[in-house]
Amino acid sequence: METLVMILAGGASEDLSVLTLIRAEPAIPFGGKFRIIDFSLSNSVNSGLFNVAVLTQYLPRSLNDHVGVGKPWDLDRSQGGVRLLQPYLGPGQSSWQQGTADAVRHNLDFINEQHVDNVLILAGDHIYKMDYGPMLRYHEQMRADVTVAVRRVSPFETYRFGIVSVDGEQRVTGFKEKPRRSKETLASMGIYVFSTQFLNDILADGKLNEFGRDVFPAMIKSHKVYAHTFEGYWADVGTLQAYWEANMALLAETPALDLYDPDWIIHTRSEERPPVQIGPEAWVGSNLLSNGCVIEGIVERSVLSPGVRVAAGAIVRDSVIMNNSVIESKARVERAIIDKEVTIGEGAEIGYGVDNIPNRLHPERLNTGLAVVGKRAKIPPHMKIGHNVIVKPGVNESHFQTDFVTSGETI
Amino acid sequence: MQTLAVLMAGGAGTRLTVLSDRRAKPAVPFAGKYRILDFTLSNCVNSGIYDVAVLTQYRPHSLNAHIGIGKPWDLDRQRGGVHLRQPYQGSTADLDWYRGTADAVYRNLDFIQEKNADLVLILSGDHIYKMDYRAMLRYHQEKGADLTVGVMNVPLDETHRFGIMTVNRNMRITEFHEKPKDQDKGTLASMGIYVFNTDIMVQRLSEGTAEAPRIDFGKDVIPAMIAADKVYAYPFEGYWVDVGTIQSYWETSLALTNPNLNGSLNLHDPNWVIHTRSEERPPAKMGPQAQVCNSLISNGCVVRGRVENSVLSPGVYVSPGAVVRESVIINDTWIGPGAIIDRAIVDENVIIGAGTHLGYGDDMTPNHAMPDKLNTGITVVGTGAQVPGGLTIGRNVLINSDRIESDFPAGVTEIASGETI
Repeated sequence: METLVMILAGGASEDLSVLTLIRAEPAIPFGGKFRIIDFSLSNSVNSGLFNVAVLTQYLPRSLNDHVGVGKPWDLDRSQGGVRLLQPYLGPGQSSWQQGTADAVRHNLDFINEQHVDNVLILAGDHIYKMDYGPMLRYHEQMRADVTVAVRRVSPFETYRFGIVSVDGEQRVTGFKEKPRRSKETLASMGIYVFSTQFLNDILADGKLNEFGRDVFPAMIKSHKVYAHTFEGYWADVGTLQAYWEANMALLAETPALDLYDPDWIIHTRSEERPPVQIGPEAWVGSNLLSNGCVIEGIVERSVLSPGVRVAAGAIVRDSVIMNNSVIESKARVERAIIDKEVTIGEGAEIGYGVDNIPNRLHPERLNTGLAVVGKRAKIPPHMKIGHNVIVKPGVNESHFQTDFVTSGETI
Repeated sequence: MQTLAVLMAGGAGTRLTVLSDRRAKPAVPFAGKYRILDFTLSNCVNSGIYDVAVLTQYRPHSLNAHIGIGKPWDLDRQRGGVHLRQPYQGSTADLDWYRGTADAVYRNLDFIQEKNADLVLILSGDHIYKMDYRAMLRYHQEKGADLTVGVMNVPLDETHRFGIMTVNRNMRITEFHEKPKDQDKGTLASMGIYVFNTDIMVQRLSEGTAEAPRIDFGKDVIPAMIAADKVYAYPFEGYWVDVGTIQSYWETSLALTNPNLNGSLNLHDPNWVIHTRSEERPPAKMGPQAQVCNSLISNGCVVRGRVENSVLSPGVYVSPGAVVRESVIINDTWIGPGAIIDRAIVDENVIIGAGTHLGYGDDMTPNHAMPDKLNTGITVVGTGAQVPGGLTIGRNVLINSDRIESDFPAGVTEIASGETI
């Protein structure tokens, strides 16, 4: 059975605020040295699937650089390998992709050229380790038209997911998109196996643009749709809080997501960097520290990407700090997400105070006390920044009116 | 000007004791994630030299696996790239192994001539330094030299370890003394880096006779060429270390952990990246009880104990309550709970049992079996050894590769300084 993997990586993911102002969500650094898409890509190759397409649309440059010819995943192959598929113009093709199903529809030509039996559709923005083999075998055994991966969620979380109901044979009998209340707790993980012929048939209806919202409800009654239950760790890191929590979860003594498993390596494109250098007065309890970091100060319960510098006397706690950011001496960073190449000036404080005023522009996105600093922002020395603050990419000294940014502000 | 670099990577490196009993010296891990050879290979590509031959002889497997097709150095190329050259039969009537550096090059002359390079840059695969060879190649051409030797000033009391040059005002070499006993020959030491005009080199290496053999560059070739050819010295000023002994390997490693001392070997320089073949490993993880200072910690390490002034290669696990002090710990070694490692070099995949104290006491008795190699208080543990728990092990102790519990004397909890297991 030949399978083609399609990774959907084109969405805008606005809930991630400044992190996705400059790149697509799958290209966001995660767990120090990784990018979010590394998990889907590594799952594919670790499952023995070496024919992979990545569908892009929104801010793809960072993703293009990262995936490249697919070398880190052994996807630089003469047969199969990884292909980055961009939106394109052509006869009858004049609009952007309108959703997940529409993105696949735009690429039906490509799919049909691959001569595969099944198409495995993945989201590029989930953190999990999964062997797709059992799901593909299950799909074959059931002679299903579509198999959807599902997992149990708490009844309080059903509003975030598409919830399916199944009969005694795991055949899907109902589907509700993000119900406020639901007796059912099996949530779709956005992972689908389609028989190639059926995928062509169902997408022939040009009005079905989203798999969850449109395609699924349309086919449950008339076709064989089965659910395959997955029981491992899986996180949708589509909000700032979920992204931060998933990073922090890696710091547990035995995290639910084991990055150290030699039988299921998460591959990534790594720059060549020296080992972490830890200075004489450093303190480093409970962290993930990536190559190229230089730690002279105190770092606790944090995840640092490659090349982060923490100067003597600086304090970093409960934070995610991305590549090459610099925390100058005596600065303090608490409960923050700091994007790449940011400078936190001497004595500046991020996450200052004890209040929790939601962000005024986006109270629905930023309301748990995290501060977020965009790529290449420069925080001036001795600046104090409260909670739920958004500092946009590239901000510098001239954008700050005072030396105190109260909670909930956006710079 | 086309240049071919030839890296000498065939020596046994016996002074490194167990570190080089399973691998050639250039393949010995250094500075956490690197191998010694990475520095020379990276110097080549950072100097724009993409045609590199690596001559192997002693225990080449680790080296072969590490270099592979040269991908990490961008040496997997259509034209040029890296070539691993093994000894083979049929090159000459001589069926012997390589007898020295010059002999190794001589046996590969047909390969070198096929390359049609104008210059041959001979390098040693076992030195730690950063050098732009382009400056030396330009110097060679400006001087119109037949041979240029990279030299640097060494302390007078170390001249007996090196080949020492005497030069005239134009830096032309007038005398060469291999490891002189007297301290009156000056302090310009050969770094084992040579630029030859290819045709002269081919000619001189082919001239060997029974009376005047051409086995070693330092002993035979350079002294002979000083009289007949234009041989110049190229002075290099920068960080350069021969990590050929246990003591210098240990010292050089630990110097990297002190950011104030390592200005001369900056591994963080984005303009002179040292490339290596890295396994994919997650970031280093620090547990809640981790206490780490003055150390280099590589990817894949898990530190739940205490690490001071040490260098940890990828995948080292330090259990809670364990202490690692002034030590070099190589890949995937496991340090048990409550174990103490003090002034030691611990090779790959070693297990240090719970509560064992490695490097104990003030007794500095040199190793009885190799007093010349192990006498400065450093204890060395070879690849794959499994050191039982609850032992107290002294200094200058050598634990050979793959030793398991039954190899240790039964019922004994203390191994005195200077012992060998």
